[in-house]
Amino acid sequence: MGRRLSLLPLLVMIVGGLVFWLGQSGLKGVKRSRPNAEIEVALPIFVQVALAGGDRYLAASWSVIRALVTETSRMAPEEYPLLGQVQKDASWLNPAHEDNYYIATAILPWEGQVEPTQVILRRATVARFFDYQPPFYYAFNLFHFMGDVQGASEWLRRAAEELPDPDERLTMQDLAASWLDRSQDLDMAARIVDAMAAQAKRKDFAAYLQKRSQRLRDLAALRRAATVYTARRGKPPGSLQDLLSSGLIDSLPVDSFGSGFAIDADGLPVFASSLKK
Amino acid sequence: MWSFCLSALRSGFRSRAVLLILVLGTLLVGVAFLAASFSPRQPQTVTMDVGFSGIRFSLVLFALFWVQELVGREVEKRTVLYALAYPVSRGAYLLGRFFGVLALLAVAAVALGGLLWLSVILSGGEYTQSYAVQTGWPYWLTIGGLWADAAVVAAFALWIASLSTVQMLPVALGALFAVAGKSLGAVLDYLERGADGDQELIGRYGSLLETIQYLLPDLSRLDWRTWPMYGVPLSDAAVSYGLLMGAGYVLLLLAMAVITFSRREFF
Repeated sequence: MGRRLSLLPLLVMIVGGLVFWLGQSGLKGVKRSRPNAEIEVALPIFVQVALAGGDRYLAASWSVIRALVTETSRMAPEEYPLLGQVQKDASWLNPAHEDNYYIATAILPWEGQVEPTQVILRRATVARFFDYQPPFYYAFNLFHFMGDVQGASEWLRRAAEELPDPDERLTMQDLAASWLDRSQDLDMAARIVDAMAAQAKRKDFAAYLQKRSQRLRDLAALRRAATVYTARRGKPPGSLQDLLSSGLIDSLPVDSFGSGFAIDADGLPVFASSLKK
Repeated sequence: MWSFCLSALRSGFRSRAVLLILVLGTLLVGVAFLAASFSPRQPQTVTMDVGFSGIRFSLVLFALFWVQELVGREVEKRTVLYALAYPVSRGAYLLGRFFGVLALLAVAAVALGGLLWLSVILSGGEYTQSYAVQTGWPYWLTIGGLWADAAVVAAFALWIASLSTVQMLPVALGALFAVAGKSLGAVLDYLERGADGDQELIGRYGSLLETIQYLLPDLSRLDWRTWPMYGVPLSDAAVSYGLLMGAGYVLLLLAMAVITFSRREFF
């Protein structure tokens, strides 16, 4: 009797072992699905607040950290509006959050999300009345992305008022005046991104920003070459190869963000990513 | 009454679970310290921000736990009858316990506040923020506000404990109260600023929230962290009305607790 009983667990053990072996060897051929670690959802504001135990500052900190750990180099274009929403919500929860407006300015407008960036910067300008940078970036975005030279100049003068040093204030007011007669200036854009990189405590973030400014410089160089090309040949270049074969550039620049450069229908060198849009 | 307060202090510190919560609090402050490493430009502000949230969370947990431990459990186990056998009113017992919890919370607030203060100082490292945080008395005033917040939650839990016959009800309802009270500010703020242009939302919930404001305290009004974090000065009215609101609500709840507890039958 006792013997017959002890057979059952043994049998179960063997069956279990067999099933386990079957399952395990079957799984070998199955590809692991990797969850998309990038930003996927933006929760409604009150859900965020409730999840943080009612603490809006905690909810804001959480969103900003989320935005920071998102690897933007791997993000799909349709994910940027979500990142914009997450950061816009964070700025509603805590408009004075310094990292939030700083990261937003460093990433969002360059990926087509100018509107949320401007909302974040406007809120930061009001909440951080002692800080010249939010109105400064607001002015720059108006100038560079929206082409509103008048508005940009006005906001820049507003930023200048918050500068503690009278000399710097004068320089910025001067800049505000000079902006009125400058259009798209990529070298200046690159300098501003470089200045943002110099403020970063995190080395990886600084490196990321430097990549961005390098990209802008490369595009600026391509545009200069294209201008010369058009002047010499009387027609704009049809492709980047034209610039290369005419000897105006030594080599095609490599885009560290992967999207590369292209020539648009008007013969103007642009980022390939903006061409697709 | 004071003997109840002192005995609450003694058993509060003796309880082993306090150690657990202290570990939790230290952990939260540690998380705040680590959160600073995510910050590209304001590590000290981030430490302070996350740390304040951690301290608020811990203090509310402490408050609920101690009320449950010192009143809820005594009622549950009927040991409260020994205390009530003394020639004192039931109200004195309840108030003594409440002041004991307040004192325990104050000790916890100072301990956690000190820990966070240290991590804020240390999290800067060699990097100098362009806008420095304030570690002087604006910082300690904010810690005081978090203590007041926890005190209101403790009073609410005490009231529930005075009438509840279900164990853990004070903790569960107290936690809900803490979340609702703290969220109220964000909701009101949203509606006040036009709800992103959603007029229907304002029409539907505006008047309801207007009423709720007079039933539920807006605990976010006791959160003064923008001062130490960003140097945005607080108006005297914000602090004094905030404290007045908190104190009034505590008095109301305590009176209700004393009334229900005095009429309660234990057999």
